[in-house]
Amino acid sequence: MISGWELVIGIEIHAQVKSKSKLFSSSSTEFGSGPNSQVSLVDAAMPGMLPVINKFCVEQAVRSGIGLNAQINKKSIFDRKNYFYQDLPQGYQISQFKYPIVGNGFIEIESDGQSKKVGIERLHLEQDAGKSLHDQDPNLTFVDLNRSGIALMEIVSMPDMTSPEEAVEYVKKVRSILRYLDTCDGNMEQGSLRADVNVSVNKPGDSLGTRCEIKNLNSFKYIHSAIIYEAKRQIKLIESGENIIQETRLYNIDSGETRSMRSKEDAHDYRYFPDPDLLPLILEDDWIKKVRSSIPELPDQKKERFIREYGLSKYDSSVIVSDKSTSDYYEKVVKDRNPKLVTTWVTSELFSVLNKKNLSIDESPISPNHLGELIDNIDSGKISSRQAKDIFEEMCETGKSANNIINEKELSQISDEGELEKLVDNVISLNPENVEKYKNGKDKLFGFFVGEAMKLSKGKANPKVLNDLLKSKLNT
Amino acid sequence: MFKPYILENMEFDKDSLYKLGKLSKIQIDESKLKSLSSDLGSIVEFIDRLKSIDTENVDPTSNSLDQSLVMRDDIASDVNTPNEILENAPQKELDFFSVPKVIE
Repeated sequence: MISGWELVIGIEIHAQVKSKSKLFSSSSTEFGSGPNSQVSLVDAAMPGMLPVINKFCVEQAVRSGIGLNAQINKKSIFDRKNYFYQDLPQGYQISQFKYPIVGNGFIEIESDGQSKKVGIERLHLEQDAGKSLHDQDPNLTFVDLNRSGIALMEIVSMPDMTSPEEAVEYVKKVRSILRYLDTCDGNMEQGSLRADVNVSVNKPGDSLGTRCEIKNLNSFKYIHSAIIYEAKRQIKLIESGENIIQETRLYNIDSGETRSMRSKEDAHDYRYFPDPDLLPLILEDDWIKKVRSSIPELPDQKKERFIREYGLSKYDSSVIVSDKSTSDYYEKVVKDRNPKLVTTWVTSELFSVLNKKNLSIDESPISPNHLGELIDNIDSGKISSRQAKDIFEEMCETGKSANNIINEKELSQISDEGELEKLVDNVISLNPENVEKYKNGKDKLFGFFVGEAMKLSKGKANPKVLNDLLKSKLNT
Repeated sequence: MFKPYILENMEFDKDSLYKLGKLSKIQIDESKLKSLSSDLGSIVEFIDRLKSIDTENVDPTSNSLDQSLVMRDDIASDVNTPNEILENAPQKELDFFSVPKVIE
């Protein structure tokens, strides 16, 4: 990225478990409820309250671990991570320190068109903290504990990434895997998945530089630009003879800069110790086996299958499988249909409409059935691709099905030779002069005849049949 | 066989004491430094006796009960209103806890 320097990047992802209730209490996890309306006495850390673990969350952590090709630890332990902050009523976060539920694993990412392995160091379960609002009052900070106690999976990578692009690919891939497993909804805007990025720089051949951690990045764009800014900042410091201080930094989305988060300076001594309220978490082999057998097809396997079954290119296949909903959509449309046509329509026409309207595939104005019906009409030759594009646009606007639109507008393509022959004869008899010129060598006039015939057919003539007919008539 | 343990006068160093005070949000009075340091020193020394036990073949133990965690099903059922949760809050605004401004 910056010549003469190497980047080393490691990432911690916090992924919210898609559970109905919190990790250690039965409060709801629903997003967007009124402040402090989903807080139990456990979450508010009232005296005497005891945590009871959510079985579903344990299962989702194990599923995620399997999806990350990782070691599942049959014994794991919950620890208290102690720090003082207004949105942490317990005064400690229940987390897993020495003995996490999931150990070493790896995922594959694409880097410069090649596959690259990124190591996973661990995945552990922990509680989320509450939310502080600093901008509601000039002198006060407001605290909402709805998020307090929600289950998070912290996924820690090895420092295996060497560019902002790889970092983004890594987060995208982890998100995709979790969404396939349905263990986390991956909604970054709502904060269900956020990344802390560790960045250091060094000269090739030198030992690793001192790293800084940029906290709470919740979009791929921010991850990318925060890494670039941070790397440049560190290089500038080193080049001017200064030292990098290992610290936590915040990314400012408005200025694109990172700045030191001084409030956390003293927080590094977390004094972890096993939570005496919680016994060790022991998993049985049979149970792990059962969970393992419930794992669905994951993006890498699906990508290979789409290439094999539908003859997709590597590129098209990665684009389609990167998002589970997109691959589900694609598979619904492609069933018993021409894969090439389906791929083109999904990756070009449909994607461009979704992009333009800023919609996710789940919000697509065109259902898989409707798109399938349109493609059937193209494949059977009933409508031309040109007509299909107009129909597609109308489908987007009105939500009507392709067949409805075709019937209403009598749009179906005329492929019948007899009918088209009449048309062609008509055009020829109406334009004797041009026919003469064409026969005398003015080849370019062919387009004129096609245009006239099309006009007569109100655009419905099958272009291929029409061309063939015109050629044979004019050349005799 | 329990042996009575005699405390020697081990001192807890000043920097560690201040750090501990800071982490615990406790202000440490200069005049108490000496007595605190010797009190804490003897506690640490007492606990350090554990180091003399050979744990070579013992698995790390986080809890003395030989049981696994009891789990509950994922059902959202606790319903507490903001009023109840905020009832004992020293200070509140709207439905929020409020604290002196924390500047990030």
